[in-house]
Amino acid sequence: MKTNQVIEVALKAGETLLTGGAEIYRVEDTVIRICESYNVDAECFVLPTGIFITVIDNEGNPVSFVRRIRKRTVNLEKVEKINSFSRSLQNNPVSYQEAMTGLNSIIGLEGYSYALKLLVAGITPFAYAMLFRGTLAEACASFVIGIVIYFIKEEITRTGIFEFFENFISGMAAGILSVLAIKLFPFMDLYRIIIASIIIMLPGLAITSAIKDALYGDIVSSMFRLTEAVFIAAAVGVGVAIALSVGLRWI
Amino acid sequence: MREILLAFIGSICPGVIYNVEKRNLIWVGFCGMLGWITYSTFNELAESVVLASFLGAVVVGIYSESVARLLKAPATVFSVPGIIPLVPGIGAYNTIQHIAENQLYEAASKGIETMSCAGAIAFGILLTSAVFRLPKKLKKRRPNPA
Repeated sequence: MKTNQVIEVALKAGETLLTGGAEIYRVEDTVIRICESYNVDAECFVLPTGIFITVIDNEGNPVSFVRRIRKRTVNLEKVEKINSFSRSLQNNPVSYQEAMTGLNSIIGLEGYSYALKLLVAGITPFAYAMLFRGTLAEACASFVIGIVIYFIKEEITRTGIFEFFENFISGMAAGILSVLAIKLFPFMDLYRIIIASIIIMLPGLAITSAIKDALYGDIVSSMFRLTEAVFIAAAVGVGVAIALSVGLRWI
Repeated sequence: MREILLAFIGSICPGVIYNVEKRNLIWVGFCGMLGWITYSTFNELAESVVLASFLGAVVVGIYSESVARLLKAPATVFSVPGIIPLVPGIGAYNTIQHIAENQLYEAASKGIETMSCAGAIAFGILLTSAVFRLPKKLKKRRPNPA
């Protein structure tokens, strides 16, 4: 395989990992591991917003690539698949065509269907409302609100307006819908419905990745993810707070 | 018993949203379940949310690092959905509610509690992954004891 092709495979794997929510050290390890499998000596530097890679090709010229990462989602299945893919390359360095086919089949994975995710986005708040010792009625209200805010969030993410806008709007939607729910059925408890329905928007992945990054010495990325977590939490919180202050006082 | 089952469901479902593979989903569920059992036990015994969150996170960390080695999957797959039952949702909500009602003193007190919980969870995970990394580091060092 040519040096350029090796880098292409490595970059593609790294990009998929990073957009799937992997830790920084895992991305760097994977890129370097793929390059080493083909006897290419590479130096790689990864930030949550980009991958930088430099190698020396056969003629002794340095070759450098930068891949900017703009969209970050969470897809742990792809992280796992790419991880085992790169390990299999280490034992059995396949040809460029085969490697690309393997990578593309991982990237093309659809994951769970949208309908199932919507349903699950409803069941999660339902389970948490019950876990916080809520009544069945509160759990059902959270179920509906959970589905609605997941739908809103996905729609906004698809159009892609601003980074944290979808969190703000979903938080506000959760607040408004919960206030509406208790106005319609006054016997329900407001706080359980809201907590249960915003729980899946909380930045669990950002925080865990931030810690792992710090542990491996990637302090810049760690700060980045911590800030991201704070921004997400703040956006959701402000959304809920606006809905609550307006909803409880004037309606 | 009912709560344990709910915690199980409550970590499988975020697992689906994060696209965890089907064969790993059940292990994700056990992760959240064990974390929640620890958290609620110590929350009642010690009456300290922060300590309970910390211990819950330690259990989640130990569980996910060991299962990750058994199933040959990244530990994140289990720990990310697994800590969701421990997330200080009630504290965060109370903080926001106090701010919305302009009771800033209570908001500060609740806010600090929430942040301590989040910090405790973070530190719990940090501690376990650090401990699990130790053998690997020691093994690497052995060939050339400089």
